[in-house]
Amino acid sequence: MALFKRLIDWIDVRIGAREIVAKELTGYLLPRTINTWYSMGSILLFIFALQVVTGILLLIYYVPDADKAFKSVTYIMNQVPFGWLIRMCHAVGSNMMVLVLLFHMLSVLFMNSYKSPRELNWLTGFILFTLVQGISLTGYLLPWSQLSFWATTVATNSVSAIPVVGQYLVEFLRGGKLVGPPTLGRFFALHVALIPAGIAALVGAHLFLLQRTGVSTPPFGQKETANQWQGDGYRYESHPGGIPFFPNYALEDLRSIFIYLACFLAVVFFDPYLFFPRDAFLPANPLQTPAHIKPEWYFLANYQTLKIFPSEFLGLAVQGAGMTFLALLPFIDRSKERHPLKRPLFMVCAVGGILLWIGLTVWGHYS
Amino acid sequence: MRYRERVMNLSGSLLILFALLLPAASFAAEPQEIVCIQCHSAMPGKLGEPVKLWKGSIHAENGIACNACHGGDPRDAANAMSPARGFLGAPKEAAIPAFCGRCHVGVLKDYLASAHGKMLAKRGPTCVTCHSNHLVVKASLEIINEKRCSQCHSFERARLIRDAMQETEAMIVAMDKRIAAYKGQGTDTEGLEKGLFAVRNRFHTLFHNVDVGMVKKESAGIQADLKKIQDQLAALDDARQNRKLAGAGGIAAMLLLALFAHLLRKTYD
Repeated sequence: MALFKRLIDWIDVRIGAREIVAKELTGYLLPRTINTWYSMGSILLFIFALQVVTGILLLIYYVPDADKAFKSVTYIMNQVPFGWLIRMCHAVGSNMMVLVLLFHMLSVLFMNSYKSPRELNWLTGFILFTLVQGISLTGYLLPWSQLSFWATTVATNSVSAIPVVGQYLVEFLRGGKLVGPPTLGRFFALHVALIPAGIAALVGAHLFLLQRTGVSTPPFGQKETANQWQGDGYRYESHPGGIPFFPNYALEDLRSIFIYLACFLAVVFFDPYLFFPRDAFLPANPLQTPAHIKPEWYFLANYQTLKIFPSEFLGLAVQGAGMTFLALLPFIDRSKERHPLKRPLFMVCAVGGILLWIGLTVWGHYS
Repeated sequence: MRYRERVMNLSGSLLILFALLLPAASFAAEPQEIVCIQCHSAMPGKLGEPVKLWKGSIHAENGIACNACHGGDPRDAANAMSPARGFLGAPKEAAIPAFCGRCHVGVLKDYLASAHGKMLAKRGPTCVTCHSNHLVVKASLEIINEKRCSQCHSFERARLIRDAMQETEAMIVAMDKRIAAYKGQGTDTEGLEKGLFAVRNRFHTLFHNVDVGMVKKESAGIQADLKKIQDQLAALDDARQNRKLAGAGGIAAMLLLALFAHLLRKTYD
């Protein structure tokens, strides 16, 4: 311990480490009414880190070549020690990341934490959501299975519905008229370099914004639930008398992460095939179209929406409008009230929207 | 790389990001039909019937289309049935075994050596007598049945042969299902599939044999080979079971750590 203390002292006299710890950890106070939903961000950070680690391990053996990709994944699954575990963790982790991200967004939505001055927090979070969808979509192609090939064909084909330039854009995406080796190269570069870098940068921006605005107080259990922000100048939302982030809330975060890990391992070890249809383990065959190609569960609502509308373009336009509305929600919803139960119209719209999304997802699954 | 290509590649990459907001669409396109099917499926009676039958056959299931047997050019409607393009038409009855034997070489040899094959010159049964012509069914013991065999002779001896092969057939079918299940979970089953394929082929050579003693002896040898494959499948089962045990341990450890973090947190209240 003496050696450890000497080491800390050595660092402290050089960079003032104790001051940082006092300010950012033990002295960083959070609202007393903070709840478990605030741990979603920490869980997401943990998942992202795990995805990076498992992704790097997969990169050791994965070959991004249309002729070798499927075999390399089969090799990882069957020959590399614990390769199956690494791959399953990466694939299941990507689905869990979308799921936890949805929970995180819903908690922010229902606690009305997106309101001023946190518009940019919401916006960066929303962009992160689309990037996570993007990294999942690009990663889907990499195993070069029947599922990968045809799901990517279907997804990229949707762009052709855009009038005039649609077909041209599809060729841009694929690097040719059809999904093929150039598409794999593009998606690989996006999946392992561009999008992760974008996610890391936006996570940094998201945390920086959180650090500058301060953690929002949950509207539950408060007498005054209206947003107090005046907009007349920068003000950090402090929480005098609150609980310290370290060790108090850090332990709550840790507890949530361990519970998440228990659920995650349950899927990985007991039913990883929840996210893998049979076509995911057959090599891509451009000449054999599988009977039913469905996207991942989180795209099923979009998929079904496109089928409902008589014109694919109309379906895309409606989705685009919906996404834009959600992205700009803090700028559209200017009400001061933050308690959801005091906002019946908000509750009807939010719950109705969630039910609609679930309904379309279930419909898309069984259609 | 030329400038235009580079611009297109970069734009393509950026547009993928844009496409993420516009996910999923359209439906899988049907593979394009060959001209034989396009024309004959619209024809009435005998000319259209083969298409309907073929669609339910093992050939259709494996992507073996009309031209694979009958020749011709399946992409040129005008010359699809031109002998110059290799069109063979339908064979005469006595030529059927040779017609099918172009692909099923080993089976042809077995057939010609069998009592059935030896009767070919005397209008004995050909491939299509048992396997049908366009609705070609997968070779299995189902084919050996009273209705089919009684067309030419009594079912007695055929029944003895079928019964001797029944157990082996059941083993092969069960193993095929297990291998397919493992394949559907990402297990590399290539070796197992090849092994079972070889054993199944050896087993199928017995289908044309009418020597009951020989069938019984060969079946025993085949079952010994199947046992080796079964052992490999059992090893896979064990590995899966061990993974689940390790997983259960991991889950329990995480829950205990969560409880520990929770209790430790309480001490700071």
